Amino acid sequence: MVKMTDLPIKGGFSFDLCTRNQMLLEKGLQMPPFRKTGTTIVGLVFQDGVVLGADTRATEGPIVADKNCEKIHFMASNIYCCGAGTAADTEAVTDMVSSQLQLHRYATGRESRVVTALTLLKSHLFSYQGHVSAALILGGVDVTGPHLHTVYPHGSTDTLPFATMGSGSLAAMSVFESKYREGLTREEGIELVAEAICAGIFNDLGSGSNVDVCVITKGQTEYLRNYQLPNPRTYISSKGYSFVKGQTEVLSTKITPIQPKVETVGGDAMEE
Amino acid sequence: MGDSQYSFSLTTFSPSGKLVQIEHALMAVGSGQTSLGIKATNGVVVATEKKLPSILVDETSVQKIQLMTPNIGVVYSGMGPDSRVLLRKSRKQAQQYFRLYKESIPVTQLVRETAAVMQEFTQSGGVRPFGVSLLIAGYDDNGPQLYQVDPSGSYFSWKASAMGKNVSNAKTFLEKRYTEDMELEDAIHTAILTLKEGFEGQISGKNIEIGIIGTDRQFRVLSSSEIDDYLAEVE
Repeated sequence: MVKMTDLPIKGGFSFDLCTRNQMLLEKGLQMPPFRKTGTTIVGLVFQDGVVLGADTRATEGPIVADKNCEKIHFMASNIYCCGAGTAADTEAVTDMVSSQLQLHRYATGRESRVVTALTLLKSHLFSYQGHVSAALILGGVDVTGPHLHTVYPHGSTDTLPFATMGSGSLAAMSVFESKYREGLTREEGIELVAEAICAGIFNDLGSGSNVDVCVITKGQTEYLRNYQLPNPRTYISSKGYSFVKGQTEVLSTKITPIQPKVETVGGDAMEE
Repeated sequence: MGDSQYSFSLTTFSPSGKLVQIEHALMAVGSGQTSLGIKATNGVVVATEKKLPSILVDETSVQKIQLMTPNIGVVYSGMGPDSRVLLRKSRKQAQQYFRLYKESIPVTQLVRETAAVMQEFTQSGGVRPFGVSLLIAGYDDNGPQLYQVDPSGSYFSWKASAMGKNVSNAKTFLEKRYTEDMELEDAIHTAILTLKEGFEGQISGKNIEIGIIGTDRQFRVLSSSEIDDYLAEVE
């Protein structure tokens, strides 16, 4: 089979199963729920670069699925991306674009630019018509300077000096709108980001646990995992728990003997 | 691809059991510029001649030694454009491996996949074998490794090897000079001396290229000034 040229990838959503899915729903099938991140993610531009921030709670409906997940994803050494929406979608799309950026770096021999990552993300999301539920805040510093963008699941983007996304975005935005100004220093930028995330953590049910921060400047990136831990566990009993025999009431007993091994004696060897 | 008059495979067996096109491909490699590689105890070095067709060519725009992954580099002998195609495919395969297993591709795996591509082109219709042999140098959890991949798709692990124009002299030289406990710095000096053996004209940092990888597992191509420093040490 001749396959030296890569066929153009047929992107976009395949609608083949839609009729079947509709029929199943009418019959009463419950679709499995997506694990949404129910998040607060933020980003801002300061004088030397960008600061990104995120909370660390992943929810599955009313249950906290992960108390300390990582929402700030690596795209390139100078570009990071916060993800809100369906956790699997944000992971998959950021991993895919990160891989494409690496190949692009080898082909061009240059550091990746934020607009490249942006265009790759938005084209992918647009071709899936919003079914890839990834809302992202993309930030980085390249030769053209610091950049901060938001990307929506349908593929639209904004370029902003400060941005928030996720279910806690309103709480975080209130902090930014009152305290953001141009030309913040690195310390001020980190403080403001941490404050905005905390606003999301404490006022939004979908966000919680810890604060992750990522500071990107020209030539250097610092990923401050768990920069703040405002929700420590304080209820662990140091004595531990003891379960004494007889504490649990036995309602009924049934003993089933395990079948003894049946040994076969004699017989012929198998024909080859 | 399959509806032209010549869609049969050009690599059909000869009565003596040889694949003539592959033999010819090896000839193309044999007339290419000399390249070599040496595996040391703590790293690998690859080197090649960089003879440009004219003095008017901007030598800073040409780089023969390339990276496949941060810890695997490659040098070729033969047709440059063919090597670029293989390089592109191998880089993509390395990325796909990472996406699937979330770990860097081991050197042997990448060599195997590159070799598989080269073999494909000896058994497909409407294509010709690649006119390059590659020397793949890498450092992973199994330590430093050096592999040679031929147009037929066969690959070998080497302690030291050479390809291209001056291959027999270079290999004899390497056989004499190679020692099991050689370290990276010695290997670089030996590589330079081997290239010098068959070099026409004045050797300098501008007409040879050297790539090294050490225990830091970062493959890098030396700058021409670094090569000049090594050349001064060797003299």
